[in-house]
Amino acid sequence: MKLRKFVALTSLAAAGLILPATASAADTVKVGVLHSLSGTMAISETSLRDVLLFTFDEINAKGGVMGKKIEPVVVDGASNWPLFAEKAKQLLEQDKCAVVFGCWTSVSRKSVLPVFEKNNGLLFYPVQYEGEEESQNVFYTAEAVNQQATPAVDYYLNAGKKKFYLLGSDYVYPQTTNLVLLEYLLSKGVPIENIGGGFKKDESGKIISAGKYTPFGHTDYQQIVSEIKQFAAGGKACVISTLNGDTNVPFFKEYAASGLTAETCPVVSFSISEDEFRGLPAKQLVGQLGCWTYFQSIKSKANTKFITDFKAWLKKSDVTGIVKDGRVTCSPMVLSYDGVYLWKAAVEKAKSFEVDAVRKELQGGLSFDGPGGKVTTQKNMHLTKNVYIGETKADGQFKILKTFDGVVGEPWLKGKFKAK
Amino acid sequence: MMNHQVTKAPSSGKLSLLLGVLLSWWLILGASAAPPREVIANALVAEDVAEQAKLVGSLAGQADPLIPQLLAKWKESEIYIYEPTEPAGPKVAVLFVGEKDADDKFAAVRVDTGEPLKDKDGKPMRLTTDEATSADTDANLRLAMKVVLDLIAVADPDPAKRLKVVQQMGLDQDLEKLPALEVRVAGEPDAKVQRALKEAIALLQLKSEDPAKQIAAAKTLATLGSIPAQDALKTVAREGSPPVAAAANAALAEIAKHLQLVNTYGTVFRGLSLGSVLLVIAIGLAITFGLMGVINMAHGELIAVGAYTTYMVQNVFGPGLALSPFGMKLHLPGFGATGAAYDAYFIAALPLSFLMAALVGLVLERGIIQFLYRRPLESLLATWGVSLVMQQLLRLTFGANNVQVDSPAWLSGNWTFFDVIFGWNRVFVIGFAIAIIVGTHLLLTKTHLGLLIRAVMQNRQMAACMGVPTERVNMLTFAFGSGLAGLAGAFLSQLGNVGPGMGQDHIVGAFMTVVVGGVGSIFGTVISALGIGVVDQSFQQILGNPVLGKILVLGGIILFLQWKPAGLFVTKSRSLEG
Repeated sequence: MKLRKFVALTSLAAAGLILPATASAADTVKVGVLHSLSGTMAISETSLRDVLLFTFDEINAKGGVMGKKIEPVVVDGASNWPLFAEKAKQLLEQDKCAVVFGCWTSVSRKSVLPVFEKNNGLLFYPVQYEGEEESQNVFYTAEAVNQQATPAVDYYLNAGKKKFYLLGSDYVYPQTTNLVLLEYLLSKGVPIENIGGGFKKDESGKIISAGKYTPFGHTDYQQIVSEIKQFAAGGKACVISTLNGDTNVPFFKEYAASGLTAETCPVVSFSISEDEFRGLPAKQLVGQLGCWTYFQSIKSKANTKFITDFKAWLKKSDVTGIVKDGRVTCSPMVLSYDGVYLWKAAVEKAKSFEVDAVRKELQGGLSFDGPGGKVTTQKNMHLTKNVYIGETKADGQFKILKTFDGVVGEPWLKGKFKAK
Repeated sequence: MMNHQVTKAPSSGKLSLLLGVLLSWWLILGASAAPPREVIANALVAEDVAEQAKLVGSLAGQADPLIPQLLAKWKESEIYIYEPTEPAGPKVAVLFVGEKDADDKFAAVRVDTGEPLKDKDGKPMRLTTDEATSADTDANLRLAMKVVLDLIAVADPDPAKRLKVVQQMGLDQDLEKLPALEVRVAGEPDAKVQRALKEAIALLQLKSEDPAKQIAAAKTLATLGSIPAQDALKTVAREGSPPVAAAANAALAEIAKHLQLVNTYGTVFRGLSLGSVLLVIAIGLAITFGLMGVINMAHGELIAVGAYTTYMVQNVFGPGLALSPFGMKLHLPGFGATGAAYDAYFIAALPLSFLMAALVGLVLERGIIQFLYRRPLESLLATWGVSLVMQQLLRLTFGANNVQVDSPAWLSGNWTFFDVIFGWNRVFVIGFAIAIIVGTHLLLTKTHLGLLIRAVMQNRQMAACMGVPTERVNMLTFAFGSGLAGLAGAFLSQLGNVGPGMGQDHIVGAFMTVVVGGVGSIFGTVISALGIGVVDQSFQQILGNPVLGKILVLGGIILFLQWKPAGLFVTKSRSLEG
């Protein structure tokens, strides 16, 4: 008796839920936006929400996707990784979103991954990451390690650098990236004593961690900087930094005070984009390097249009609490933007919003001329794109020094490079 | 280059042809002796980056005083490239001189001739910065510039500059430069440069063909304890003949010993400086929590108030500041100072941050804490709430992002003795901590107010009976402690982040220092801050791992407090009387 009543109730409730959805489904398609709009990551991730909403408006103004207007469902992951999974579940099971754009940190991605795989959802992930992952339910517009770290090393080797100091924040992305870099440097004939920062080995003598790591919120870089200074005393040295946002300030202040400069020992940072630069001491950073698949300073029609349109959209936007002044564009934003257009192209080619059909088209190789140049989707759910090395300027922009065209995204790099 | 430009320029008939021929002749004959300013001008307008670097590199060995001047201007993007439009002509590199006039225009001077830029009628031209693009540089070009400047600098009157150049020459190990260095070593008056010259010569000789010279060089480097020579010595140890390799290995062992000593001294200094930072952060809390017994969770936010005050002062000295608290538009005008005057902002910021934080502390004491003196738990909760409110206020006023605070030039540099880096900011913080401690000590022991403070802290009722205005003394003491937090904030802006959440990063360290030192004892706070600093740095040095070092320090503190729950120095104070 009780059971029957329960079933009846739930089916009623289900019908109630589904009915309005089907009614509105005729002219709109629901698209999820899953970023932290509060908590520590909000500073970075809010920009991605903004650019996604801008992209949806841009597409809707031109008639939407297959004649359907995009209806964004914005949820807040609140920099809380388990919450990310719950919100992902809500977007997929309750809102039935055709696709979700979101996540910044690797741990948030790892947290939502099982949800997407269970529900056969589709997530577009836009931020540089460590690789070693290839899910059929995630499309990685993000920079893989070989689209950021190894090109930077190539640039340094070309500039005659012989010694490399690895430094990073203590979490999965820097740890994995530095292990890959270690293999890469060895494969390029750099002797192991020329790689600084220290190594940790397991019982069998295999290196399990390369480089120097500091915790989040570390403030005292005296010892590390003095170590780098001794390391660089013999010349031809450089630093590869995967330090996270905030900790860059004490690091670079100490670095400048110790007399190390971009000319004697340059630092390439993988986590400082135009957006992070706004809170950093510009004077101390000038001349140091960055490496991304997009810089705001790229001179192209597509980029100029993207920047002016985005700023115009910001001006008249009525999203609560949106920051309108002093905004910049950066790589994760552009990769989010590219992702939406690639999804649109895939849907229109597949003539369906079904994830399986869309994935098939994505894996078939679609191209889009984005603000950072042409991007092409690959079978392994990654992107082929251009990689740029830039030098930071006092105004918070990058002067582009070198461009690597059409670098293929390769997630599986551990063990790929063999030492000579 | 120049020839190409001339023929491209609009011209008519024989005259221009003749001119072209003449110029090419002049180029062929005089290319090597082209005046430096023309070479630089050509480099400036060259399209190709590699060509630019090559042209600049061709200046090596010339000692024209114009070269460093022009290259320095180029580096700072103060040279502009002007492309005449009517009639269209080749690009010209120009310098802007004098003050800008009412139309924002400057007088323009050609880099290649040093004469004013003239328009088609031969009249001097005035330009705005928008009509020309500023010339920029990349790392390769700056390297080429450096080589040119180095050779000029070896003979530079400034010993510091000579030192740098000589050191670089040693590292480059270019045997051709050996005679030049050997000539200088005899007449060099400065002891440091003298040492660097010896080091550089030895480094060059390591490359020599003669094993005897190589061995002698290795020995010199060992006695000098040369850290930069390690890489070169390792190469020799690997590739040299057995006796040379043995000498190199012996030298390396010697240098390693020297390095160990350097690191030991360095660790002590770094520990003292870290301890001083902790002390500066904790001293305010040592007064409000230690002496008064108020558990002030908003202490971190008082630090942030000081840091943001520094930020505001900096902007008032500089370009001004636009704020939008609660949707209001506020604009602080700036003096637009530059150079040393701008750097002086920090001097002004110190007392202002003290006053600002003291004022906030005063309001906090009058508004909330005065009602909670006998209820520590409630004061903990209330001040925690205050800290959240203050963070949000900062966020609403200054934005959620961190703000940029520039370090003045006199805090961003270092002295290096015995290969230990003494960063000016670090030396400053040690001096700063000493000044604060001495000041606080004098205030507490030598002034009338200090006497009253001590009386109230020891026994409030008794002090009140003797006619001490305890309310006012409480208020002033709390304001003083808060002001010290503000000073800490001003200083922390020179070391790390300034953001709405910065207080949270420091509050734990502050409480830890005060508790370990013994609540109520300022002297204990000093000892505990310095102790934690030195231990922390030693762990980092020994383990080579900051994460593990931090964990060990925290673990050590927990054990220590198990052993001595009241901290290093036990003092009787109100908070312990309950």
